[in-house]
Amino acid sequence: MTYAAYAVTPDRQRAELATLSAPAVLFTLAMIAFPVVYTVWLGFHTFSSTGRQSFSGVGNYSRLVADHEFWHGLWVTLALYVLSLALQLVLGIWLALLLFHAKRLPGIVRSLFISPFMMPPVVAGLMWLVILDPSIGAANYLLTRVGLPPSDWLASPLWVIPTIAMIDTWQWAPYVALIVLGGLQSLPPSVYEAAQIDGASPLTTFRRITLPLLLPTIVTATILRSVDLLRFFDIIYITTQGGPGNASNTLNIYGFRVGFEFFNIGYASALMLTLTAIVFGVVLAFNRLRGAVAW
Amino acid sequence: MAGISIRNLVKSYGSFTVVPDLSLEIADHEFVVFVGPSGCGKSTLLRIIAGLEPITSGELYIGDKRVNGVPAAQRDIAMVFQDYALYPHMRVYDNMAFALQLRGMPKSDIDSRVRQAAAMLHIEAYLDRKPKELSGGQRQRVAMGRAIVRNPQVFLFDEPLSNLDAKLRAQVRAEIKALSQQLRTTMVFVTHDQIEAMTMADRIVVLQGGVVQQYDTPEVVYERPANQFVAGFIGSPTMNFFAVEWRGDAAVFAADATPAPLDDALGARLRAAAGKAVAGVRPEHFQVVSANASGIPVQIKLVEPLGSDTLIHFEVAGAAAIARVDPSLKPKPGERLFLKPQPGKIHLFDAANGRVLP
Repeated sequence: MTYAAYAVTPDRQRAELATLSAPAVLFTLAMIAFPVVYTVWLGFHTFSSTGRQSFSGVGNYSRLVADHEFWHGLWVTLALYVLSLALQLVLGIWLALLLFHAKRLPGIVRSLFISPFMMPPVVAGLMWLVILDPSIGAANYLLTRVGLPPSDWLASPLWVIPTIAMIDTWQWAPYVALIVLGGLQSLPPSVYEAAQIDGASPLTTFRRITLPLLLPTIVTATILRSVDLLRFFDIIYITTQGGPGNASNTLNIYGFRVGFEFFNIGYASALMLTLTAIVFGVVLAFNRLRGAVAW
Repeated sequence: MAGISIRNLVKSYGSFTVVPDLSLEIADHEFVVFVGPSGCGKSTLLRIIAGLEPITSGELYIGDKRVNGVPAAQRDIAMVFQDYALYPHMRVYDNMAFALQLRGMPKSDIDSRVRQAAAMLHIEAYLDRKPKELSGGQRQRVAMGRAIVRNPQVFLFDEPLSNLDAKLRAQVRAEIKALSQQLRTTMVFVTHDQIEAMTMADRIVVLQGGVVQQYDTPEVVYERPANQFVAGFIGSPTMNFFAVEWRGDAAVFAADATPAPLDDALGARLRAAAGKAVAGVRPEHFQVVSANASGIPVQIKLVEPLGSDTLIHFEVAGAAAIARVDPSLKPKPGERLFLKPQPGKIHLFDAANGRVLP
């Protein structure tokens, strides 16, 4: 038999590819598509206390539009998102620049800088709960030591969002720093030498060279943090459970309570799908921005 | 415009000394090329002139101004980098205008300078493009444009042609040479390519181990190399070297004691050097002679036809050697022929330290 007889035709190649990849494709579909489709299905149904289901069409979504708690949850989610993201980006970039320029910093110190995001959120939440305790916490102790009035922190409807944003920033700004540091290390050194010869001051170099060159990296970090922040749950649930009152009741916390405290699975599914759509929208918008700032 | 004066310059990194003690005068309007092998200190020297590396000791003057410790931006120099170092997020126009904007120059003046330089370099059509949308040659021109708009006292080039393909390199080389004649500015060009050095320089600085081996015009460096290193570095293919000795009353190749074709004057120089030396002959300075013309008998091992001429590889007294011959000879591997160095084209170097024998 000649060698040509063994040659694989395009059709045969396609068939082999389909056969070989079918198990992986089916597994992926089962693991990803099924829960999504099931949640969509749940969102179009209501469930009675006896567990009987009935098709309700877009009823859950109509209810959502008229639900003040939904709009409040959306507002809390977005406020926490914008505040946390801004803090994490500013601090993350600052920390990355610090680590980038402090090249002689011992490895252990570098590791300590970036360690918070390795801590389980439950541990971080409990730790901050103790630190921020109005009567026995270290935070108020320090405030009074420097002559400032103590704060209610997580117990204050006014301060709960900034406080949670601060906790999340403590945990995730180092993660942003790590991403930005990677971006900084990949920038061509000769560009900085050219800027030096061109007469750019350190501030001008940062504003006109570093920051624009880092934008694609910063947008990537923004996308990653956006997904997490819009779905923010763990630390809020540990520290406030949406309180005081409903001051930190994000969409995710609200959906969880609707589903698992009030057992309204259909409405909870509609809430979560809406949140998912918001996350998708934000990610798509930033993805476009990443294309626009690429160099 | 200004010359450059380097006086007893030392550059060390910790205990490692790159430049031990270097002095050099570059005249105003001169095109000087630093050439040498990797690690010889040529780029370090250029970066010191640019102000990108501090001086360990010694003095550096640009024009009348001592510039030790003066920031790069205040030295009135412009530099073209090996990787061009264009600002990748800026348009070509902004790349060229950046330094002028930082100086606070009026927009109309910036615009006229940028467009003038762009016209000179034929890059007007690319002013709105980003560097990633340009070819290597176009980026190279933008990098030069960025330097030109500043109208500096000194242009510094750090191996700017090394990222270009051979054809483009030859073209840009000629363009830089033409530019230097047009701008009449002091230019310092670093390269490891001796052809670039020979074709562009008014004077060449051959460096090895941070020490100037020779500083002279391309013609002198080629015709009268100061030592064996320079002789071997300048010229392609490289100069052939043979160990020679004075034995009895004749010059011979040291390896096999066969007669070496040195005339009376060279013989006298050899004897004056305790009878031991290294003879150097460039491949292009061999001539093919007939059997009875007292040439060196050689057997061709390899033939490299280059079109305009042909290189033949052979051995003389056990040492590999190359000769450049007329392609009409149509030499073949295995053939035997007789080669003779052209009169006055044999160089003699001290066997111990490589210096040319007086």
